[in-house]
Amino acid sequence: MGALFQLSVRQLASRSRLLLILILALLPVALAALISALGEDESSNEEFINTLLDGLLIAGILPIVIMVLATSTFGNEVEDRTLSYLVLKPIRRSLIVLPKLLASIVVGGLVLIASGVVATLLGASSMGAVLVVLDGNVKAVLALAIALFAGVVAYTAIFTWAGLMSSRAIAFALVYVFIWEGLISTFLGGVRYLSVRGYTLAILHGLDDKSFGSLGERVIEFPAALLGATVTTALFFWLAVRRLHRMDVP
Amino acid sequence: MTTAGQGPEAATMEATIDVRGISKWFGDVVAVNDVSLQVNPGITGLLGPNGAGKTTLLHMIAGLAKPSDGEVKLLGEPVRDNPRLYQRMGFMSANESVYGFLSGREFVELAARLYGLEPLSPPVDRAIELVGLTDVQGRPLSTYSRGMRQRMRLATTLVHNPDVLLLDEPLNGSDPRQRIEFQDLMRHLVEEGRTILISSHILEEVELLAGSILLMVSGKLAAAGDFHAIRANLDERPYKIRIVASDPRSMAAALVKLDAVDSVSVDADGSLVVLSRNVYDLQRSVPRLAQEQSIRLMRVEPLDESLESVFSYLVER
Repeated sequence: MGALFQLSVRQLASRSRLLLILILALLPVALAALISALGEDESSNEEFINTLLDGLLIAGILPIVIMVLATSTFGNEVEDRTLSYLVLKPIRRSLIVLPKLLASIVVGGLVLIASGVVATLLGASSMGAVLVVLDGNVKAVLALAIALFAGVVAYTAIFTWAGLMSSRAIAFALVYVFIWEGLISTFLGGVRYLSVRGYTLAILHGLDDKSFGSLGERVIEFPAALLGATVTTALFFWLAVRRLHRMDVP
Repeated sequence: MTTAGQGPEAATMEATIDVRGISKWFGDVVAVNDVSLQVNPGITGLLGPNGAGKTTLLHMIAGLAKPSDGEVKLLGEPVRDNPRLYQRMGFMSANESVYGFLSGREFVELAARLYGLEPLSPPVDRAIELVGLTDVQGRPLSTYSRGMRQRMRLATTLVHNPDVLLLDEPLNGSDPRQRIEFQDLMRHLVEEGRTILISSHILEEVELLAGSILLMVSGKLAAAGDFHAIRANLDERPYKIRIVASDPRSMAAALVKLDAVDSVSVDADGSLVVLSRNVYDLQRSVPRLAQEQSIRLMRVEPLDESLESVFSYLVER
């Protein structure tokens, strides 16, 4: 599995792809730095969380970065017709999917969690006691890191499967993120139970409801979010393995 | 059931590759149509024109594609979704893609790791040496020539010392010297008792290597067995060919003098219908005759539809 993990990381770490991911990941940091530099004392905790963490990072940059990575882990193998190098080896299909999944999680997760944590620290420094991080309380940062990680894992499972299913996986991912999670969930609250964004926000709130209290009215129950993220990850991992079993490899 | 391979006992032994009634269709298109065959140790050539279904057939034999109907067994086991069996099989696809960011050696090492070989170096060194790329093994694959990439891909196919080799157009991009080296390597591997199935659309490639051939035409197995017997059968079968020429009467008079021509008739529209048992000679003679008689050839086509591809195939040689 180590050999496939290394291969997958090297595949993902192309210069152009890394550059795109880094630019996206730097956006929240840059915005937080701007807020900090301007000393926007009037900015509230609620605005910071809603605009920067939810609106920009969790609803936008997180799924886009994972979409770029996860859809290409298998998508590129299918498109380049290199998948036969992997599937005609004496290894179980699940042990082909797992390292691909881990590669996206490690590459995307590191960048996104770093982005979220740095942006939060910068935001907190500009708003004094907003997130109480500077008072020595790391709970908010840990909550954010864990919630982002859960989101990264669940999105990775969905988009890895999509990359195996279709050459138009990115279109599917965009519809899921911006139509299903971004639009439909606004009108139909129940959609949050079938939304990785909903799980991420609920886990963030559930782990630190003091710092992220403003999310309270928009999130599902913490246990439901944990269960949803776990089931989504397991389900799409299983679907990806099943697809690899059944598909005709070009 | 059609058997290809070495030795008279081959047909009675359990075949290394046993294909029974497999078909593969993509929507309305039938790529492979009810093919049954057996392949035994030795080198067998899978021949046919482009689009005949060779690659689809090989993909089903390798387990990459699921047959729409029928079954494939390799070394007595179902091949599809049988990872354990892949330890004994090497497959080289016609597609030439590689992981360009890996060096040649890393590419072979990756295959060796995925086959679970331990220690890694001896089989990797051996495989790279077999294909003669030891000197350039450290270079990224993206810098390799087409022929070098093919050889390094062959090294990944050989690294685990498989019993069965399935090679789809392995000589694409090779120069004449590399072809000779490849032929020597294949003969060496066969001497060790392996079963090698090589697909190609170039007759000469296989002619020098394989005693047995499988001839695919339009998704069907048109012929199988000894290479020379098949060539003889093809030549003995009368073909009906239409020739449209600027001066049909002079062309007909010239054609009837050929040994390769059984008869010539002139249709109402002035086109010639030629019956021949030796298409190979005919296709060489027609242009020469036309040139000698200063006749312009407008059309030369087979009329027997089922043999159209065979004809095209022979003509394209």
